[in-house]
Amino acid sequence: MKQKSWHFDRRELLKGGGVALALPMLNGMGKAMGAVNRVSKGNRLPKRMLVSYFAYGAYMPDSPSGIASSHVKTSEKEHHPWSWWPCRDAGPLSFNQSSAPFAPLKDDVSYLRGLDHAGGWKLGGHSSGDVFATGADMMGAEKTNNTSIDQVAAQVHGDKTRYASLVLGTEGGTGSYGSCKTLSHRGPGRPIPSLHKPQEIFNRLFNPYAGKGVEQVRAGLKREASILDLVLEHSRSFKNRLGKEDQGKVNEYLDSIRALEQRVERTSKWTHQPLPKIDTKGLNLEVSHKEPEEYIRCMYDLIFLAFQTDSTRFATLMLESEQSSNSEMWNYATYVLGYQGATHDIAHKRPADYSGKWDQWRAKQHAYFLQRLHDTPEGDGNMLDRTLVLWGSAHPHASHSTKNYPLQLAGGRHLGLKHGQLHEFVGAKKVPLSNLFVSMLNAVDVAVDKFADSTGAMTEVLG
Amino acid sequence: MRIRNHFVIFIQLLSHTLLVSLGTAQVGQQGDGYIVQVKPFFQTHCIRCHGPEKSKSELTLHTLDGDLALGRGLERWENVLDALESGSMPPEDQPQPSEAERKIVTEWINQGLREFIDHASQEAAKSTVRRLTNFEYENTMRDLLGIELDLIEDLPQDPLKPYHFNNSAELMLLGPEQINRYLEVARRAMASVIVDPAKPETYKTRQEWGAEESNKGFAKSLPRNEIAIQNSRRGTPGQGMGIKDFPKTGEFRIRFQASAVFPNGATELPLRFVMGYNLNVNSSTQEVVPVGVVHLRNSPREPQVYELRGRIENYPVQMGRMHRGKLRPDTLTITPQNIYDDGSLNDDNRFLYWPRQPDMPRAVVDWIEFEAPLTEVWPPTHHNRILFDSPLRESEPRKYIHEVLTRFMSRAYRRPVTVGEVDRFLEVYDLLKPELATLEATIRETLAMVLVTPQFLLHTKAEGGVVEQDYELASSLSYFLWGSMPDAELFGVAAKGGLDEPEEIEKQVLRMLADPRANDFVSNFTNQWLSLPKMKTVPINRDLFPRFLYYVEAGERAGTERPYIPTIRDHMIDETVGFVAELIRRNASVTNLVDSDFAMLNQPLAAHYGVKGVEGQRLRRVAVKPEHHLGGLLTQGSILIGNGTGSAPHPIYRAVWLREAILGDKVKPPPAEVPALTDSAGDSAEQALTIKDLLAKHRTQESCNDCHVRLDPWGIPFERYNAIGKYQPRVPKEGTRVRGFDLKRDEDLAGYARYLESINTQEVQSEARVPHGPQVDDMAQLKTHLLTARKQDIAENVIRRLLTYGIGRELTYRDRYEIENIFTDWAENDFLIRDMIVLICQSQIFRTP
Repeated sequence: MKQKSWHFDRRELLKGGGVALALPMLNGMGKAMGAVNRVSKGNRLPKRMLVSYFAYGAYMPDSPSGIASSHVKTSEKEHHPWSWWPCRDAGPLSFNQSSAPFAPLKDDVSYLRGLDHAGGWKLGGHSSGDVFATGADMMGAEKTNNTSIDQVAAQVHGDKTRYASLVLGTEGGTGSYGSCKTLSHRGPGRPIPSLHKPQEIFNRLFNPYAGKGVEQVRAGLKREASILDLVLEHSRSFKNRLGKEDQGKVNEYLDSIRALEQRVERTSKWTHQPLPKIDTKGLNLEVSHKEPEEYIRCMYDLIFLAFQTDSTRFATLMLESEQSSNSEMWNYATYVLGYQGATHDIAHKRPADYSGKWDQWRAKQHAYFLQRLHDTPEGDGNMLDRTLVLWGSAHPHASHSTKNYPLQLAGGRHLGLKHGQLHEFVGAKKVPLSNLFVSMLNAVDVAVDKFADSTGAMTEVLG
Repeated sequence: MRIRNHFVIFIQLLSHTLLVSLGTAQVGQQGDGYIVQVKPFFQTHCIRCHGPEKSKSELTLHTLDGDLALGRGLERWENVLDALESGSMPPEDQPQPSEAERKIVTEWINQGLREFIDHASQEAAKSTVRRLTNFEYENTMRDLLGIELDLIEDLPQDPLKPYHFNNSAELMLLGPEQINRYLEVARRAMASVIVDPAKPETYKTRQEWGAEESNKGFAKSLPRNEIAIQNSRRGTPGQGMGIKDFPKTGEFRIRFQASAVFPNGATELPLRFVMGYNLNVNSSTQEVVPVGVVHLRNSPREPQVYELRGRIENYPVQMGRMHRGKLRPDTLTITPQNIYDDGSLNDDNRFLYWPRQPDMPRAVVDWIEFEAPLTEVWPPTHHNRILFDSPLRESEPRKYIHEVLTRFMSRAYRRPVTVGEVDRFLEVYDLLKPELATLEATIRETLAMVLVTPQFLLHTKAEGGVVEQDYELASSLSYFLWGSMPDAELFGVAAKGGLDEPEEIEKQVLRMLADPRANDFVSNFTNQWLSLPKMKTVPINRDLFPRFLYYVEAGERAGTERPYIPTIRDHMIDETVGFVAELIRRNASVTNLVDSDFAMLNQPLAAHYGVKGVEGQRLRRVAVKPEHHLGGLLTQGSILIGNGTGSAPHPIYRAVWLREAILGDKVKPPPAEVPALTDSAGDSAEQALTIKDLLAKHRTQESCNDCHVRLDPWGIPFERYNAIGKYQPRVPKEGTRVRGFDLKRDEDLAGYARYLESINTQEVQSEARVPHGPQVDDMAQLKTHLLTARKQDIAENVIRRLLTYGIGRELTYRDRYEIENIFTDWAENDFLIRDMIVLICQSQIFRTP
């Protein structure tokens, strides 16, 4: 990208009155920036995490419930070449056709069978994606969902990067309860809208000042902080006139304004750091849903760039949702494979000729991302070694089932993870998926011993 | 130690009370009535299924204690009361208590509940503070700013739950992302509302089409200025008029000269204008927004000039693309569409195009003119309303801004503002002024900040002065009946005082319902209450219903539903909303919801239902005859399609709909692990009709049967209404393979009818015995049963739905007796719907939610 000169354009300023206030800061809230972390050698290298979700479950013709059925002696049956699971038995990995794209990454991936969120059981097949990254008990005590894993991490380490987190999805926005279009939630009732337009994401990440001079941006931010202060005071006096019960509701509002103030402060501090220079060669930001492969790879590329430039360390990506009707997502499988019908139908009908190919196509896109991280050296290893990547769905083969998710964990070998196995958590070994979340958070230096309904950590994936 | 002493005293007091009450002979509210009469009743009739061993419906009663006054388990008590009063429990196949026994228990519960509620109503209820829904937000901005802008696309969606309203306080939370989006949206709106002083140049463009024969495309013989149905030949107006270099904001005007040719003798042709992307690319990623519809009745000998207006901001601009190293300009395309539709839907759309149907009406468009921004009045009215003319503006600028803020904020906050509140924003203004320089730019930003305050974004029940209570009531009324802020008259009455009087409320409610803004309320309420939107996404089986939808004939989207034109499904939603609106307008009885002597139809709908003599696309009241099998909500296409599979009727969906939306029951969702019926039925013509067999499966499993025995029979009488909402008494024989529809053999409509006759050889079974009711043979008998035995339940349900919508929270046991009061008053009015809306607005719950 060409470096823009910082000349002061009076007319631009008049036209864009207060534009600085709208500075699209992704989700860079959390605490105001502390020490700026410069990418350097050794143990100060960043620790990253991505949670990526795919919709409609996956093809598992041998075991629709997501775990091997007990009455078929597993030794008698060959593993299905198009099952989403790479191999039949727990133990060292081998790869079938569906999972073939991951074969070159054998030592960087693990598969986890038999895990799920109890909070999603009752949500139903079209809604359990809501809690994929949160584990919230939405039919019970947490009707408005709860904080997602990436945001827990962002609250602790988000101040080290320009943006605390990056929330992407193929459809954009928040959706609503039961039909979420984002994986990330700041807390109960606070879904974070996902971004879905590549050009917009790029601009927000790498061109946040929209061509304005940095001094000008700073002045705008200073003014903005004062205004938010006034609004805050204004709202406080309003709150005092309300009844006790209603004050709680206004606190919600006041907290939001305070968070905006912190965001301003944070953005202002980051103006002292130069923006990263991005090589946009090969990046097609104009891509549309009509070219699913180009589009999804572009989204993955943007996450890669955000990680590579250390613009953020925590990201989520929701690829389609169970509620994508009326959108081009409905036609993905048609564009990619020539499947005659809505993509959603693959989940219900599980046609033998398309289901496996569809899974394989999705695997290819994800493997592309892992490979890209893997091929990029960092410190004494590569970027994948310092990035945890969880990839999965909230349903198995039986598309309305909300148990036994297909799950793959990749990367993080330098963060204490060990790969190359299929782990099974069935019967007496069954534990909440949240246990994995505890271990993932610990691996990126978030000291929690509990997440949602967790009962401990998941040592199986640790080296 | 002191704590323990207190505790002892407390225990003593408690036992004392107990002793005293046990000692009295009266059947009191305390333990004795429970022990003597209720507990034995529970033991005999309830505990076996709702007790320590089984807890069907997740309800257990053995842990209930006998003292309602402590306020424990009241929701459960209310459940029990409902079940006993309605007679739905104990189940029919179990021994039944006598009426007297039933009565003793219900009276005991009623008395206890009442006492508790009377006592508890002293305490404050749950908070009902909630933000404006997106629907309310957009309407409020429209009325506050005086221009219509599409604003909510970028806001987080409102919570959505079938049969529930999206304004429930509990689920409406606010977060920083949301506030940030509100701010972005407010800025966008203010940029449109406040203009710069210099009058902009008006952009104007015009295109003409002559009557010479076109020589392009397959419709060669048509004159160039004509638009056949769904046709967009090159070089004709149907292909759209592209514009570039247009202004980005402001009001626009489209003028055009048009007429119509009616070879078939029709008298009216709807010509719709849409604007946005160019529609000639075969794709569904394009976006267009309708500008308006004109109904042409004039022939080309008497061409007429028509005019449509709108705001440019609301239309999707097609971004310019790079072409040979040069960036092409952004464009907007204005496309006139001939949307004439007489309901003679056509297979695969093949016969729709000219010249295959030479007698279908065609629109003639001689020229189109586009003009923007309109500057006849400059600055525009919406600008002047905020930055009004005043000598103060020059003489005392600060005082002027103070006045501007006072006026604007009073309307934004829906009540008079205090000087302190205004001063705060005067400070904001002062902060912004040095940098933004002009008055206009500064006031834009200042007012955008006003629009993110809680006073604007939240509905509130403020404490304090009597003055504000009238303003709050004004807001309650306007958000209920308009989904928007109060108008000048409501503000006026609130300022004067006396809005609280029942007569004044009635007067205002009637006035507001007559206002066009009430259409928003009816539409929003009806869509959510009846869970209508889902009908738009049910995929209709093309093999079974080849004539129901228009399909794209060729290209990469061949076989998909034709986008960008109104479809029969849109008309069906209009039908249902229009039906409810008609009931309110005529103050008709609630019984019309179940059965009515009229339907709201236009030509495509009438053709669909087989009603003759309706011409044109305007919805109107049409008398129904028995052979139409119409009347009421139950047989409307929107309901039947939304609660079907697209291939077959779905008795369970329809039963759930009837019980939830009409009878007001809460139907539990099935356990997550149960496979859905639709997974195995409806893929093909042969499989489409075997749902009844699947229902029978339910009965063989106790876990299913417990619920389905009370559910399925409600859906069976709907069976003669097929998946596209048509009366279809005969179907192919069970298990037979039917031949597919053959375009060549069954070319015209008569052929299609013959085809249907040849495959539909068996009468549909629609007999069922209604739970706790009689045998009904078909829909007509079901309606009769509902109107005789369930009229009161239906009326109470409608009260509850409207009240929940009106006050923005779920009703609880606390509201039970208030609702009973409204019900009693209403029963005296024969359950006339408009009267009930008045009664709701006059009720205590509505005024102090």
